[in-house]
Amino acid sequence: MLQLTDVTKTYPTPQGALHVLDGVDLHLGAGESLALMGESGSGKSTLLHLAAGLDLPDRGDIHLDGERLSTLGEPRRAALRRQQLGLVFQQFHLVPSLSVADNLSLQARLAEREDNHWTQHLLARLGLAGLNDRYPEQLSGGQQQRLAIGRALAAKPRLLLADEPTGNLDETAADEVLDLLASLVDESGCALLMVTHSARVAAPMDRCLRLQHGRLAEPGE
Amino acid sequence: MTPARMAVLRTSLATLLSHYRRHPGQLAMLIVGLWVASALWSGVQAINASARDSYARAEALFSSDLDSITRRDGRPLSLDDYLTLRRAGLRVSPLVEGEWTSAAGDTLTLIGIDPLTLPDDAPLGRTESSAGSLRDWLLPPHRVRVAPDTAAQLNDATRLPPLEIDPALPPGTLVTDIGVAQRLLGFEGQLTRLVIAAERSAELPAGFVRTSAAVIASPGQLTESFHLNLTAMGLLALVVGLFIVHAALGLALEQRLGLLRTLRALGVPARTLIAALALELLVIGLVGAALGIASGVLLAQALLPDVAASLAELYDSNVGTTLALPWHYWLGGLVITLGGLFSAGASMLWRAARLNVLALGQAQAWRGRLRRQLGIQGWLGGVLLLVAALLWWRLSGRAGQQELALSFAMVAALLLGTALWLPPLLAGALRLAARRLRNRPLAQWAVADLQLQLPRLQLPMMALLLALATNLGVGSMVGGFRLTFLDWLDQRLLADLYVRPPAEQFDAVRDWLIERPEVATLLPARSSDATLIGSDSRNAGGTDTATPVKLFGIAPEPILRRHWPLLDTHAGREAAWRALAGGEAFINEQLARRHSLAPGDTLRLRTAQGTRRLSIAAIYPDYGNPSGEITLPVTRLASEFSAPPGSLGVVLAKDRASRDALMARLREGLAARFGLAGPTLIDQRSLKRSATEVFERTFAITQALNALTLGVAGLALLTTLLAQAETRRAQLAPLWALGVTRARLVGVQLAQLLAAATGTALLAVPLGLALSYALVAVINVAAFGWRLPLHVFPGQIAVTLMLALMVAALAALLPAWRLWRVPPRQLLQEFAAS
Repeated sequence: MLQLTDVTKTYPTPQGALHVLDGVDLHLGAGESLALMGESGSGKSTLLHLAAGLDLPDRGDIHLDGERLSTLGEPRRAALRRQQLGLVFQQFHLVPSLSVADNLSLQARLAEREDNHWTQHLLARLGLAGLNDRYPEQLSGGQQQRLAIGRALAAKPRLLLADEPTGNLDETAADEVLDLLASLVDESGCALLMVTHSARVAAPMDRCLRLQHGRLAEPGE
Repeated sequence: MTPARMAVLRTSLATLLSHYRRHPGQLAMLIVGLWVASALWSGVQAINASARDSYARAEALFSSDLDSITRRDGRPLSLDDYLTLRRAGLRVSPLVEGEWTSAAGDTLTLIGIDPLTLPDDAPLGRTESSAGSLRDWLLPPHRVRVAPDTAAQLNDATRLPPLEIDPALPPGTLVTDIGVAQRLLGFEGQLTRLVIAAERSAELPAGFVRTSAAVIASPGQLTESFHLNLTAMGLLALVVGLFIVHAALGLALEQRLGLLRTLRALGVPARTLIAALALELLVIGLVGAALGIASGVLLAQALLPDVAASLAELYDSNVGTTLALPWHYWLGGLVITLGGLFSAGASMLWRAARLNVLALGQAQAWRGRLRRQLGIQGWLGGVLLLVAALLWWRLSGRAGQQELALSFAMVAALLLGTALWLPPLLAGALRLAARRLRNRPLAQWAVADLQLQLPRLQLPMMALLLALATNLGVGSMVGGFRLTFLDWLDQRLLADLYVRPPAEQFDAVRDWLIERPEVATLLPARSSDATLIGSDSRNAGGTDTATPVKLFGIAPEPILRRHWPLLDTHAGREAAWRALAGGEAFINEQLARRHSLAPGDTLRLRTAQGTRRLSIAAIYPDYGNPSGEITLPVTRLASEFSAPPGSLGVVLAKDRASRDALMARLREGLAARFGLAGPTLIDQRSLKRSATEVFERTFAITQALNALTLGVAGLALLTTLLAQAETRRAQLAPLWALGVTRARLVGVQLAQLLAAATGTALLAVPLGLALSYALVAVINVAAFGWRLPLHVFPGQIAVTLMLALMVAALAALLPAWRLWRVPPRQLLQEFAAS
């Protein structure tokens, strides 16, 4: 599903080049879940952005669903994101001017993959049934993140990329959201790559990797 | 476009537009900005288009290369004169022209022609247009040709022959057979003039004068200047309106940056997003343009009668009072509105195209960005001001249409350059204030908060600056012009009564007046035409092209010599008058500027009596006169140039009785002895009154547009404040939570805006004065050929400062009231959210 080979990413800083990723290799199979851990600034989000085709590596290859991202133009990468990926952010990034129902179906509509049964099912599973006409600002933090997860899954992606999805939530809400995320990912059969710095959050995943000094390692290494 | 891409575009557009559902104030601000910008521009263009349509029709009729022949002694032409000229082999055609009053009381120009003798290609003789034929035209009940807009006003079936519609005719004009016209005008047996094809050269019998078509032509340059002035005002309103649009678009983009990044992250390609934003602009633009053009037409309908009256009185141009809008007017309105919208939205589209998707959720580094932006604005403003200075230096004192366009470019550079400097100057002032207010935390917060608001407030403040400066500049120009004009009228209209006797009575009336005890001085005047064929100028730009000029004859009596204003002389005032008596000439300022002439230069003139050379002794101001003019002693004009009799100015002997009593006696005498009354006797006071009325009416539309522009600037400020009111409350809520009362918060908000408006007004004052100087010393010279002195009115400066504060206070009132009314619970929520 996702293959990173010798991926390097460097940012220029006033103090010199900062090697955020330095020859990273990663493989994520279909339906597999992987937690990516690391300290703040270790490059977790950069790796996620590269995997989503939002940015390109300085060196190395990224293959998503068999396509080599660095050879694709921006429109094709956008189409791949639309059709194959679901993205969940720490800050939710819901559209404040769209209702709950419209936010939920936004990506599915963009991908022309709207499925009313699946949308209704998601609304019920997310505990948002009956809140269709509300706007994001009228929801709690936990509800907003559940809505963001629903939006990412509504287009039935093959890979869900989640960047600290519980970072803005209290422990109870975070647990609820994680349970729901795990259950819905199982149900939809998509792969999951989740960035987190919490071992507790990473525990239920199939695999867990740590990003340190620009390289990937098993947590114990 | 594939269905998949269409779906992405459709969904993206719907998502972008949903923003306005949550922020209807921003949408209203956008539409209102476009609406007013487009309305004022379209209104002015509708007036211009209608007036130009009238000019085109009038020019097609009259400037058709027909020279005019009149009697040298000024007496009316008769049928005998016509026959004399025809027998001499001249293919002249008779023409009768006069004013005819319709049953509704409208004064129309009635022209009688003889289609059989008119040159073949003369539009006047086009009798076979529409259904009429030459036979219908010549035989009873005859025909009268009339433009459709004039026909709609006519209801005189009993007095007029059947109407024949001719859209090519100018408004307010009737053309019919010469016999019918003579009957309707009461001119039986008389002719107004004889016309002849301009290309036919022929020796005229003695006693007749030929005036070339070039001299009769319409005052195109002056009416063009009038319309250019209107266009400039319309353009200013458009720019000010577009400032609102720019501010609204900037705000909408700022608030939607997160949304744009989210859409990109969800798989919307950058190009599709730009296309969706452009489509959004197009939809808003079409709505704004439709509203604007419709309102513009209504505005033009309201203003056109005044404009038509001004043009008629100033330039003798007959402009219809109903709108005539060609197809390109509608298209032009749409293009200029959409063009303005897209130029205002270009920066939005550019920023959206360069959007950094990876900055999702990152706080905006506004301070650094603002500093960079202010730096760029400072540089750009400096460049524009340098361009303005260079143009000023290049233009000073030159007249002409090309110079006029450059003058407007100079004023635009001056206004825009200073407007770009406003935000950096305000930012600098705020930085200074912040340092000095360390011991007053609330004031320091207010200053810091105003710095934060500057990116959003800068555009409406720039609009306010432009409106205030234009108000002050145009106000000073009009005020100064009024003073100069009235002073000049007093100097030029020295006589208490002007008598215009028929040519055959002229000498007898003059001799009678000289003998009257009521008369202190008699000032006879005559005028004639000539062609300036060259000059020996000490300046580089002497003339070699033939230009029609007026010759004006004055009686250099002591009272006239004392008051007649002179701008420049060769060897002083007294010497100039001696030189005039000795054979030299005075010329008006417009002639001097157009041909770079100065006292001491020599003119070469072609007249009916041959070529003449005249030395220039002095240059005099001649406001409101479209033509170049050469002034000579009246006796010389009569003897050497065969000028027909003109008017007799009567200066009353006021030491003998009251003015009114003397005037009454004189009028009685003239009526009893010569049968002179009505329009042949013109009281100086009524002449001054009507001249002043014309003046006021001319500037009425300028001042109306000026006030509207200031209103638009106020609207820009109000809409910006309303659009950001929600964000502002989130910024104010923490302050409220810290213990600042709502009343205090309202006061702080008002004080912030008043401080910004004061800073803006302080910059508007020097800019307004510079604009006023540019108008009187550069634009006036380029447009009309004469320069006005600069007058500074302290009262007007005070009014500008007050207006700035008033506009700011009015704009702040509604948002402040809404803040005052917001319940504490909501502030609490906003505090929690902030």
